[in-house]
Amino acid sequence: MSDITETHINYYGKQPADLIEERETKRPLTPRAKVARDLYLEAKSSVSLEFPYWYTRRWEELDGEIPITRRAEAMKAGFMHLTPAIFPGELLSMGKAAFLRGSFPMPWLSEAFFMAAEDKLYKEAQESGKLTADSFTTMGKGGGNVTKSIGKVISIAGKFGVRVEEMPIMIEVAKKWKDKSVDDVGHKYEQLVPGYSEKEALMRSVICMFDSGYTLPQGREVMNYYYPLQFGIDDLINQCRESIAEVAGYPDMDRLYFFRATIIMLEGLQHWIRNYSEEALFLASIETEEKQKSEYLEMADRLDWISSKPPRSFHDALQMIWTFHVAVLNEDAISGLSPGRVGQVLYPFWKRDIKNGVINQEKTIELLECMRVKFTEIDCFASMGVVGGVLSGNTFNNLCIGGLLKDGTSAANELEMLIIEAGISCDTPQPTLSMLYDEKLPEEFLLKGVECTKIGTGYPAWVNNQGAMEFLVNNYGHEGMSIEEARAWAIGGCLETSPGSWAPLELDGEIHWIPGGSAPATSVGVHFLSLPKILEVTLFDGMDMRSGQRIFPSHGYKLNTYIELWQAFRDYFSRACHVLTLTNNIQHDAWRKISPSLINSMLKPDCLAKGKDIGQMGSRYNTTFNIESCGTANLVNSLAALKQNVYTEKYYSLDEYRSALLANFGYCTAQETGSYSLVDQVPTDNYHQWKKIHKQSLDAPKFGNDNPFADAIMKEWEDWFCEMAHDYRSLYDQPMYACQISVSTHGPMGAVTLAGPDGRLCGTTFSDGSVSAYPGTDKNGPYALFNSATCWNHSLSQNSQLNMKIHPSVVKGRQGSRKFLELIRAYLRKGGFHVQFNIVDSRMLKQAQAEPEKYRSLLVRVAGFTQYWVELGKQIQDEVIARTEYEEL
Amino acid sequence: MARTELIKGILFDIQGFSVHDGPGCRTLVFLKGCSLQCAWCSNPEGISPYPEPLWNARKCTYDMACVTACPSDAINPDADLLIFDKTKCGVCSSFECINACCSGALRLAGYQLSVDEIFMQITRDRQYWGPDGGVTLTGGEPFLQPKFTFDLLKRCYDSYIHTAVETCGNVAWQNISPALPFLDWIFFDLKHSDPEKHQKMTDPGYKSGCHKIQSKNSPILQFSNPSITNSSNPSIVFNSHQRILANARHLASEFKGRLIFRMPVIPGFNDDAENIAATARFILETGRNEINILPVHHLGREKYNLLGETYYTTEFSIPTKDNLYKIRDQFINSGIECYIGSDTPF
Repeated sequence: MSDITETHINYYGKQPADLIEERETKRPLTPRAKVARDLYLEAKSSVSLEFPYWYTRRWEELDGEIPITRRAEAMKAGFMHLTPAIFPGELLSMGKAAFLRGSFPMPWLSEAFFMAAEDKLYKEAQESGKLTADSFTTMGKGGGNVTKSIGKVISIAGKFGVRVEEMPIMIEVAKKWKDKSVDDVGHKYEQLVPGYSEKEALMRSVICMFDSGYTLPQGREVMNYYYPLQFGIDDLINQCRESIAEVAGYPDMDRLYFFRATIIMLEGLQHWIRNYSEEALFLASIETEEKQKSEYLEMADRLDWISSKPPRSFHDALQMIWTFHVAVLNEDAISGLSPGRVGQVLYPFWKRDIKNGVINQEKTIELLECMRVKFTEIDCFASMGVVGGVLSGNTFNNLCIGGLLKDGTSAANELEMLIIEAGISCDTPQPTLSMLYDEKLPEEFLLKGVECTKIGTGYPAWVNNQGAMEFLVNNYGHEGMSIEEARAWAIGGCLETSPGSWAPLELDGEIHWIPGGSAPATSVGVHFLSLPKILEVTLFDGMDMRSGQRIFPSHGYKLNTYIELWQAFRDYFSRACHVLTLTNNIQHDAWRKISPSLINSMLKPDCLAKGKDIGQMGSRYNTTFNIESCGTANLVNSLAALKQNVYTEKYYSLDEYRSALLANFGYCTAQETGSYSLVDQVPTDNYHQWKKIHKQSLDAPKFGNDNPFADAIMKEWEDWFCEMAHDYRSLYDQPMYACQISVSTHGPMGAVTLAGPDGRLCGTTFSDGSVSAYPGTDKNGPYALFNSATCWNHSLSQNSQLNMKIHPSVVKGRQGSRKFLELIRAYLRKGGFHVQFNIVDSRMLKQAQAEPEKYRSLLVRVAGFTQYWVELGKQIQDEVIARTEYEEL
Repeated sequence: MARTELIKGILFDIQGFSVHDGPGCRTLVFLKGCSLQCAWCSNPEGISPYPEPLWNARKCTYDMACVTACPSDAINPDADLLIFDKTKCGVCSSFECINACCSGALRLAGYQLSVDEIFMQITRDRQYWGPDGGVTLTGGEPFLQPKFTFDLLKRCYDSYIHTAVETCGNVAWQNISPALPFLDWIFFDLKHSDPEKHQKMTDPGYKSGCHKIQSKNSPILQFSNPSITNSSNPSIVFNSHQRILANARHLASEFKGRLIFRMPVIPGFNDDAENIAATARFILETGRNEINILPVHHLGREKYNLLGETYYTTEFSIPTKDNLYKIRDQFINSGIECYIGSDTPF
């Protein structure tokens, strides 16, 4: 059956060019939010050096102080010296730095990577293999990226602009951290791991995408705003003072320093918030327009109030969580700091305001739209490999909706309906939305979610609530995770299942159980292993044929049978996991010693109760390290092709395959053609020599077609990977687990990989996610893809990821919404963990690639996040265009 | 062997998640072979009842591997074209040309599957449809393969699957009637109220030179409908209009399920008020009251290129929204529910 269906024709995506289907239209955003969004679209990513300068200065003054105190004082100095920047019409204020899209380098994490290319520090970094990923990453050329220097603005890391007069400060500040940053200290000690040279080889060959401990040491986690919302900052300081009195002089003295550092840090935050309040007062004093004047005065009052006390209203509460969100973002280089289930956390405040007539629906939407623009303004300063290759400039502030309450009933509420509404009208990349799909959610709520997904924002992504709970109980059970507590989970970052807990928010004498994150970063450890590259190295007995360097010692197998090949692959994969786990543990240890988290620790249960920061396992849950993979479908398809063509049917010998791969099946490389998509590749004159083997590689069974041959290989890989990941232990001596999202790494990782036995050509982008088919190879429609994707148990892994592109005509109208929901629901019921959609015509994307200026606000879904098309690198743009488009003619 | 394993149908596609041909999300089974050849057909590869190669010039590397491989010398290179002698392809069963092609330029339209084999796929898809979905047989003309269609519909119906058929109606009544108890839903095409106009645009003669299939005794399939093999005889096609209307009346009175008429809207051909009025009258006479009007589109163009045939549909313009609303209003004023395109209540 499968043989016959595979040869039949696929008509999806064949419309002629004159019939581009527009996306369904939507309600316009409020005038206030429009002003803010337009301002954002004009703004460029800008770096200011106030924070690092004052941080470093204070740090140097306190040489010899207890590290955590020194860190708190340095952070306090940084916050106190941030110039407040308030923009006209804002309802929510405060930001990372003095610019609209402001951010700053954190040289205490790593000082080398943001230096200019000619700088000595940079060159040293390049030699140790840390920057290989950077050189194979393309940044988006448009939007707010400062990709080249203009006038007095210097471009750094391919994205950020810094004023030319600030450059010397940046270099000077960076130099102060030489041999002292987390990067440098970690690097000194990681070299003591036996077989360390193998780790450098893995980084140089981009088998592993990037280090963990100093790049993005926090993030991919869910925030918890319970403490400030319930108590306010003054009260939290008092609580810390009381705790000091209890622990001073007693054993386990680290608690004393932690509480004292928390007080210092909170005082710094109060100062920072009051600076904004002062600024608002000043602006009010010079404002002539009455309405704006009174808004400034209200803002000044609100900021002053929340600098010491718990919020009085929904608006106060929203400002409070935004303030703390920014505060945490400023304590580390962070991507994927998710605000969590905001609609449920703030529901008690909102409900009270609605009851008392303080706010109405229209005002709420306006406020939520302003919140969206604020979240979109967040920039993350990191190297090009991290910002472009991993994040595509995105910061993954994932807001979850739906799911269940503590008692197991539906958690959806009216405020969440409005959050979706604001997501429809104000279609900005942040915060992205995730629907925690559960059978108990009301149909109306789900259809509202579908309405939002349909307009082409890419959010909400749809994730499986019960599947995540099963994962959490299985992996955090030994830390006390119960089914009830598992219900408090949310997505941290783009798609990382993160544990949460319930906290009793008391408002007017009534207790509301609100969910919030209760673990540190859930995606640290081994950051992205390139599965197709490891297979390539296996076929060439440990050599990276692109660079001619040896990665692993010879595996010693002749690869005469498929079983031998599979074993050799697993041996190499395990070797990589082993050395990378150890080196990253060392990096994270350097991080927790030099740059411990204070703000995030204060927020996370149960750090305040235990008197420990998150680096000392103060959180309730600590089993958060993982091993990330990339290029799953290409691995499976390659193994399937070899199994059939070399081992079962014996059409070719392995040597013939090796020659074909080295010859790139007679094609030019992707770098030569300038396109990273398989469909655009150009044959050379030698093509005829390789065409037969290339055809038979392309015709071999492919994952995504409900083909038992390919799906069995997928299942074998998944069952093994999800199990073996538990064999490695994190810095906190907890078992690790599998995490299967690609983010944007499938672009740069594909760029350094030779042609594959699956017929993929050299340098082209891998398949995205972990259960997405390779673009163009899923020929039997979405149901066949779903069957393949669910051939293994997704609850074994922290996540799985399925990206689909659907033509707008398929989901048009009211019936289209209902049928779309049926499609989504059917996949999740079958056990799929996650599915997300681009509802867009491929030809529109091609036009946008050609004329970016006309498509400044076009949003697409990449791999767990939504981003402006023009801010994506070309590798990822090509991949999104090539994804099989489901279109019914 | 069971009958459902033995009888095979010839198909050219199966599509899951189809949302425009019946209630809910559905799996569409496209049967190959049609007894009309409408000038605007968007599935031209469904007209011939035999498997046939599709050739994509853009992918072709002109290495002539297919020309060499063909045992019947059916492929003739001509400048930058490959001309396929369909009289030879029509009786081919090995299609060595397709196996020889390395560039992906050649593909085969048409393959045989038994009811059991299709039902395996339907069983898989069923878990994804949702409560309203089901199977729709379309094509081509499903009732040109009556035994297979009957068996497949019965197999589905017996398994509590919602069944639908999309038919042009130009088949013998005895091809349709046995399947009726196993059908929930029928889409029935009314292309024009006037017999002569109907003939002109649905007659194979309109497209000169295509589908010259000579073999009357196909090694693959036997058709109970004589018109397919004598399609060059205009009198038989002329009769097709009467037969279509007669079948429509029969169905309207005997079919217990939902019968929805469909009309492709072809500007300049059938969108005039007179034809709409006549069509409305006919529908009311049958006692039914639903029509789904489908604006003609140019999306099938690529397929004509692949078949090496001339594309005529661009001779028709695409109806404007206003035009469609006008037609809808005229039907509604006559007392008939009218739905435009995919904007239906199901």
